[in-house]
Amino acid sequence: MRISRTDTSGKYIFKQFIQWVLFGLLMVICFVLETAGSFVKPLLLIPLALCISAHTGEIQAMAVGTTCGLLLDVACNKLIGYNAIGLVVVCVIVSLLHGYYLRNRFMNMLLLTAVYTAIQGYLDFFLYYAIWGLEDANLIYTNVYLPSEIMTLVSMIPIYLLVRWIAEICGSRRNYELEKTIIMNS
Amino acid sequence: MEHFLKSKKLKAILIIMALLAGILAYAVSAGGYTIPAVDILNALASPFQKASNAISGNVEYALTLYQNAENGYEENEELRKEVAELHRQLSKYEEVKQELTELKSFVGIKETYDDFVITSPCEVTGYVTNDPFYAFNIDCGKNEGISLYDPVVTEEGLVGVITKLGNNSATVTTILSPDLSVAVYCSTTKDHGVLTGSVGYAMQGMTKLQYLDKETTLRKNQKKDRVVLTSGENGLFPKGYVVGYVNEVKTDDSGLTACASIKPAADVRNLHMVVVVTDFEGKGVESHENQQN
Repeated sequence: MRISRTDTSGKYIFKQFIQWVLFGLLMVICFVLETAGSFVKPLLLIPLALCISAHTGEIQAMAVGTTCGLLLDVACNKLIGYNAIGLVVVCVIVSLLHGYYLRNRFMNMLLLTAVYTAIQGYLDFFLYYAIWGLEDANLIYTNVYLPSEIMTLVSMIPIYLLVRWIAEICGSRRNYELEKTIIMNS
Repeated sequence: MEHFLKSKKLKAILIIMALLAGILAYAVSAGGYTIPAVDILNALASPFQKASNAISGNVEYALTLYQNAENGYEENEELRKEVAELHRQLSKYEEVKQELTELKSFVGIKETYDDFVITSPCEVTGYVTNDPFYAFNIDCGKNEGISLYDPVVTEEGLVGVITKLGNNSATVTTILSPDLSVAVYCSTTKDHGVLTGSVGYAMQGMTKLQYLDKETTLRKNQKKDRVVLTSGENGLFPKGYVVGYVNEVKTDDSGLTACASIKPAADVRNLHMVVVVTDFEGKGVESHENQQN
């Protein structure tokens, strides 16, 4: 049976361009929301980076991890590169996991986001507050980090749906490669 | 997976990670100065942050107005739209009025403290995400003559110091932070102490006055609204600037000294504009008493 490619190459490139413009726009929106007001907020860039990585190749995942990580460093006033390094590693791992072992399911993403958010939050708290022996440092974890982690997990739901919708509309690279392989082998 | 481990992609990823590690090491060695890339990023993000802060501020204000006017709406349904429209206009008017008042108040600082060299009012571009001590960014930097550790004030009182500096932006660590210590004294009792933030007090928007004499007169006469002023002993802060008001006095955990909770005079958690004091009389000069010690 002959399987024909659904998109022509030019059309595919255009769709990919639109997809990355939309992803870039989402990054800007998440960054702006993260820096508005002085109240405790979710770290929206984390689920965004992970959700995008699940739909892309390793190199793109690395680029997304770097961008979102650097934006997170600026928003949280951390040393530049502190969050970026961690997010690059996790984004590449997420991309590889979804390429080789996992299906792109909501529960998988929720689990990955929960694990990374918990590790990132605790590491952040430990390195910036607990290690310095601050009095009542645990209050920072319970009043700031924990609510933020929970909010990050909840915010992952709309972000996941939005990213999946964009990837489906624009046709993610993984689908294209799969399609190309099927065509070549048929 | 094996294919990936042998591929050039892995090498590219490792190179990027090494680059990021290099940037991180550079950022550590740069002290309080931001790297140029961050300055550019801050400049690009600044208009978006200002816009989002303005929107969130307006929404908050509109919600307050709505809550206050709810009873009036119930009484007369027909006037509802008119009232809402008037509120919208009032909101804009209040915004302009507040801005004007803030600008006037900054002129007042210069009139009261004639030895101060201050910047033009700096806009707060945004608070640092999830910072328990309410650090924030401003849209002024080295180009406005600001240096690291310059005091940041409003007309109400001291807010904090510059701890990270770029060409057109800076980060302010507030007096709620344990990283900042300010030598202060009480205006009425003349009790001296050190003001430094603590986690517990910061959660309530307050800061802590430490190392007061155990038998401090503040304790004997717990009148509210006793003003705490900077003593200017270490040359980092100008002398006699308002910091906050004494809230509660108690014995420290060690039992050797007394401490007090201080309510900052400026609402550190909700700032829109501040000024930076770039120079003042006695800047960088430790007091005679301190030098002798």
